[in-house]
Amino acid sequence: MAGVSTKEIKTRIRSMESTKQITKAMEMVAASKLRHAQARVINSRPYFETLYNTITDIVNSNSDFSSPYLVRRTGSRKLFVVIAGDRGLAGGYNSNILKLVYAQMDGAEATVLPIGRKAVDFFRSKGIPALTETYSDAADVSIGDCFSIAKLLSKAYLKEEFDEIHIGYTNFVSVLSQTPATLQMLPLLQQPSGKPRKTEILYEPDSTEVFGAIVPEYLGGILYGALCESRAAEQAARRTAMESATQNAEDMIADLSLKFNQARQAAITQEITEIVAGS
Amino acid sequence: MTPFRLTIISPDGPKFEGDVEEIIVRTTSGDLGIMAGHANCVAPLGMGQATVIIDGKKRYGACIGGLFSMVDGKATIVATTFEWAEDIDAQRAEAAYQRAQQVLDSKDASDTEIALAQARLRRALVRKSVAGHK
Repeated sequence: MAGVSTKEIKTRIRSMESTKQITKAMEMVAASKLRHAQARVINSRPYFETLYNTITDIVNSNSDFSSPYLVRRTGSRKLFVVIAGDRGLAGGYNSNILKLVYAQMDGAEATVLPIGRKAVDFFRSKGIPALTETYSDAADVSIGDCFSIAKLLSKAYLKEEFDEIHIGYTNFVSVLSQTPATLQMLPLLQQPSGKPRKTEILYEPDSTEVFGAIVPEYLGGILYGALCESRAAEQAARRTAMESATQNAEDMIADLSLKFNQARQAAITQEITEIVAGS
Repeated sequence: MTPFRLTIISPDGPKFEGDVEEIIVRTTSGDLGIMAGHANCVAPLGMGQATVIIDGKKRYGACIGGLFSMVDGKATIVATTFEWAEDIDAQRAEAAYQRAQQVLDSKDASDTEIALAQARLRRALVRKSVAGHK
């Protein structure tokens, strides 16, 4: 008889098949969620980009630094807003973004504002203090919540609790590619490149007040955009991961079926030999 | 009148892109009218009606939060919510208004509930008044 018994192989094939059913179902769920998330990203992306470009434009041509949002501070207390998923089984989605942010925390007095269960658990295990864990369920964070978070961030920044605020999220490049990224939210920095502007900008009523009103809106918009990107990226990553898991299960089933047939054949041959030899 | 470029964008997607003759937006410090050749300017938006004049015709929208910028002759409205008068569901706005009013009238509402209801009431009022321009 060949190595393994037919019964053992049969059990393995059965368990493989039920695994395949689960991964297949998860793939389909992710694919349908991905369609919604993708539509949202496509709608919100122009907003995200225009908002970012407009603010960058204003900051680059600004010459009045009376607003505290524009002043670079010397300390190293950094706050990281990290957007990850609530659940695993999404390929490298969670670990990529968490690793990237964790590497950037090196040498800084870091605090996090985790969004998503995986982010909460990760930073808790690393012993990094969290500003708040109210937003632990990434799936439940609404656009209203984004603006509440933005208010919270700008208040904390104005009270000088932090010197820098960064956001870590995952860019949804395409269905097959997602890249983790970080972005500095505060203070707003002037880009050294680009020609110096000659014209001044008129602030209505004045610069400090304009930045005071615009910055929370800006942070809220960026947060919402980053959240949309991350959600779409999570579903895309999960779909790809589950697709390859299903494929692997199919390969294994094919392999095991072959082994099963060989073992069965061997058993029959042996039986025949025994009968022939006995008569 | 000389036309100039206007882009209106909200998290739900782009709302308008094209040449206009005049814009009137409600900023946090009052209404601001913009025509072609205006100096570079930035203002935070309050809650209110935005009026856009295209080919002598007025078009109204409910514009809530965000910022207005005019840089190098190009105007941009980056709004938190923006709805054209014809897209507003007047019945929904009316219902939201009634609900918010109920919360404000009840005696046992908490401070956060009152703050939320006040914000809802203001949004509903803006929508209702803009929807009247249909």
